[in-house]
Amino acid sequence: MNDTEFASHEWWENYKETVNSDPEMQVRGHDKFSDNFYVEIGEERFLIQMQNGTVQEILPNPALNNRWSFGVEGDREAWEEFVQETPPAFNHEIVASHYRSAVRNEDGHLMMRGDNKKIFQNLRPFQRALDLMRVANNNGGS
Amino acid sequence: MAEQGTIEPITGKYVHVEIGGVDHRIYFEENGPEDGTPILCQHTAGNNCQEWRHLLTDEEITEDYRVIAHDLPYHGKSVPPTSQSWWEEDYKMTGKQFTETLVALADALELEDPIYMGSSMGGNITLELADWYPDRFQALIGLECGAHSPGFYIDWLDHPEVNTTEVNAYSCWGLMAPQSPEETRRETMYLYEQGANGVFKGDLYYYSVDHDYRDKLDQVKADECPLYIVNGEYDYLTTPEDGKETAEGVGDGAVAVEMAQIGHFPMSEHPELFNAYLKEILGDITGDREGDLPSVLTPDDVGIELHPPAPAREKSAE
Repeated sequence: MNDTEFASHEWWENYKETVNSDPEMQVRGHDKFSDNFYVEIGEERFLIQMQNGTVQEILPNPALNNRWSFGVEGDREAWEEFVQETPPAFNHEIVASHYRSAVRNEDGHLMMRGDNKKIFQNLRPFQRALDLMRVANNNGGS
Repeated sequence: MAEQGTIEPITGKYVHVEIGGVDHRIYFEENGPEDGTPILCQHTAGNNCQEWRHLLTDEEITEDYRVIAHDLPYHGKSVPPTSQSWWEEDYKMTGKQFTETLVALADALELEDPIYMGSSMGGNITLELADWYPDRFQALIGLECGAHSPGFYIDWLDHPEVNTTEVNAYSCWGLMAPQSPEETRRETMYLYEQGANGVFKGDLYYYSVDHDYRDKLDQVKADECPLYIVNGEYDYLTTPEDGKETAEGVGDGAVAVEMAQIGHFPMSEHPELFNAYLKEILGDITGDREGDLPSVLTPDDVGIELHPPAPAREKSAE
């Protein structure tokens, strides 16, 4: 278990290392993933700046000077479920969670926001980058 | 791991099937005794019969049953009909076309009292089969089945600026349970990556648009053909709750069972667990199983020990 508090500065630093040492982020075209995305956990927003499948920097509270293509929003409880070692059904992956919000109008899930075309152009590396939050949180798993 | 030189007992053949007056060359694989009860196995949208390879090699099931898994036209090794200019139109599946195909295939193979089993689109179609062809099959097993499964007919799944090879697969990644072994989840994705352009999306037209039994469940004749609605805990498209409501709406002859700790591709994402679950369902069909099926089947119920979640990527201690 990662002993830093979820979404603290240290936690994100560990996350960055996890993404940047992940073999899957560098193969199958995922090394072309250069779109920034944000992760919004309750009231807090973090910008994940991506270049060639690697995290360059993670900025809290991105503003007018920053750019992003898409993001994910959810309350802290939904994110805490998402990063569990064995996450509960429907908060175990981003498309699953988004579907329960967007199509079934349920609360307590994550929502993808932003340019849908760019989301689908980068779907796998984006999805993998989010799944790596779980790996970072538990120091292992997938 | 199989030993070097092992040849699996699966055989593959092609059968010519007339569907809507058009000749189709349909590929199917099978294993099991020729006089065993046939189980006709339908793959999921955009996929092919390889999803069933672990059922086709299950020694216990293929001792009694003739397991048959086919590729729908345009999928896997079933090439498009050679008499049609299919490249001039978008491939689009409907319930009518789908049921006609399945019944024509069962007829062409001269299957007597077969059991039908399918997952996802193949699960949903059990409702149309029990509505329109209740006397063709002895029982229907609808895996990941619901009266309505909206929201997955998505334009990006067939788009020139999207890598649909990978997207059509990984849009389904979260349909599988995290408890399922990594290697079988990845293989399920690999099979998705084999789909032809536009076919996954075209199947989803049936799945999310054409198929809507919310106000028609009274037409589903499960009293004439037993219907098993068997949905995985992690299936976010047609949840176990959706399955339960669907079975209740159908009434007599319909049973809903939840499969714990598995998702929307049970036969390929976690074959060992699914095959054990399936034996309970088959036991109920034959009457060999004592007592009613439980509303939830768990790994403990069927004596399967779960693997730890995926191979851990331990970080080196620095």
